[in-house]
Amino acid sequence: MPQQVKRLISAFAVFIVLFLIMRQVLTPSSFGELGHFRAKAIQENMVRELRYAGSVNCSKCHEDIRANKAQGPHAQLKCEVCHGPGMKHALYAGQFTNGQLPDSLVLYKPGERKDCAICHQLNAARIKIQFDTINHTMIHQIDAMKHNLADTDTNIEFKCIECHNPHQP
Amino acid sequence: MKNKSAISRRDFFKAGTIIVGGIAVTTALTPVDGLLFATERPAGKGKWYGIGIDIDKCIGCGKCANACKKENNVPQEPFYFRSWVEQYTIKNDGTIIVESPNGGIDGFKQSVPSEEIFKSFFVPKMCNHCAKSPCVQVCPVGATFETAEGIVLVDENYCIGCRYCVQACPYGCRYIHPVKKTVDKCTLCFHRLEKGLQPACFEICPTEARIFGDLNDPGSKLNYFLKNHTCMVIKPHLNTGSKLFYNALSPEVR
Repeated sequence: MPQQVKRLISAFAVFIVLFLIMRQVLTPSSFGELGHFRAKAIQENMVRELRYAGSVNCSKCHEDIRANKAQGPHAQLKCEVCHGPGMKHALYAGQFTNGQLPDSLVLYKPGERKDCAICHQLNAARIKIQFDTINHTMIHQIDAMKHNLADTDTNIEFKCIECHNPHQP
Repeated sequence: MKNKSAISRRDFFKAGTIIVGGIAVTTALTPVDGLLFATERPAGKGKWYGIGIDIDKCIGCGKCANACKKENNVPQEPFYFRSWVEQYTIKNDGTIIVESPNGGIDGFKQSVPSEEIFKSFFVPKMCNHCAKSPCVQVCPVGATFETAEGIVLVDENYCIGCRYCVQACPYGCRYIHPVKKTVDKCTLCFHRLEKGLQPACFEICPTEARIFGDLNDPGSKLNYFLKNHTCMVIKPHLNTGSKLFYNALSPEVR
């Protein structure tokens, strides 16, 4: 065997050994167990903070409101649609039996015109929508910026919830 | 003429026949991979999640986009979204207007007068959790992958932020997180699924326009929805194996 080939082979051998060592060091521990990714990443994606509790958890304490709402057209609306994420509230509000909740646990109480308008503002894309497959009722459409805007005498703007109870509209 | 080649004509033809014949025989013996369409299921018996969205029922309240941002700590700027809503308006003269102010979170204002509108509808968008995800295929380091349940996830600690997958996704469902500098996308609320809860956007939808379920379970809500509606995926010609099925999907939707 010529001298050059011998040198080349030994050089290649060194490179291959170096590559194998580097590969061993640089590849993360669980890589390739389930495919071309770190299997541990699945666990890491699992452990994240929950924000939305789900309406089942709301009715554990607020059963009266759920029962009241169930008789109106907002029956299928989950509580957190309007009140926002309530996982912290569901977990810790029970400790404050005197009703004095810290601000961080108080949920949003929508009452402004814009809150109702998010679903009920007149829009061409909403008109034909049948939102209830059983009763085939349409979602109520209103021009929230014109409908009963203000008291004719005092000129004070009405809020939607002054006339409509959001749990029983 | 001087023969420059050391190989004889006979040997050349011999070698050629062996190579070409070998290729022809192996090609004939390997079964041709058929196209994998979205409804075709993998061999496993476990859960395989899919999504259904009923465009007829969507009222464009944007609560899903809002809930997604809150549940998953998505940056509040109006250009980072894991889930968002678009309003398509087709005017009488045929022009198509697509709007998505802040992803629909603050609600939609009708920008075209009603008499000019031929039709208008809302399209909620999110990751399609494709069975043959282009984003997974292009990742150079294996930082994005599909779980056995059919959910496309990102490995934040391994992503190098090269943005290949952002380019590859035909549905525009990925973005680079401005703080983490790694890619971020819908996980189908994987952390909620593990606790037996629905993903936040499905939990919050007021009209039940979003249906989520197991494609492998013949009795699931999603399979019932798929049987009872004429469903279609976006960009079927790209053969991504999308598992996000829309009812009443108009061809204008891209």
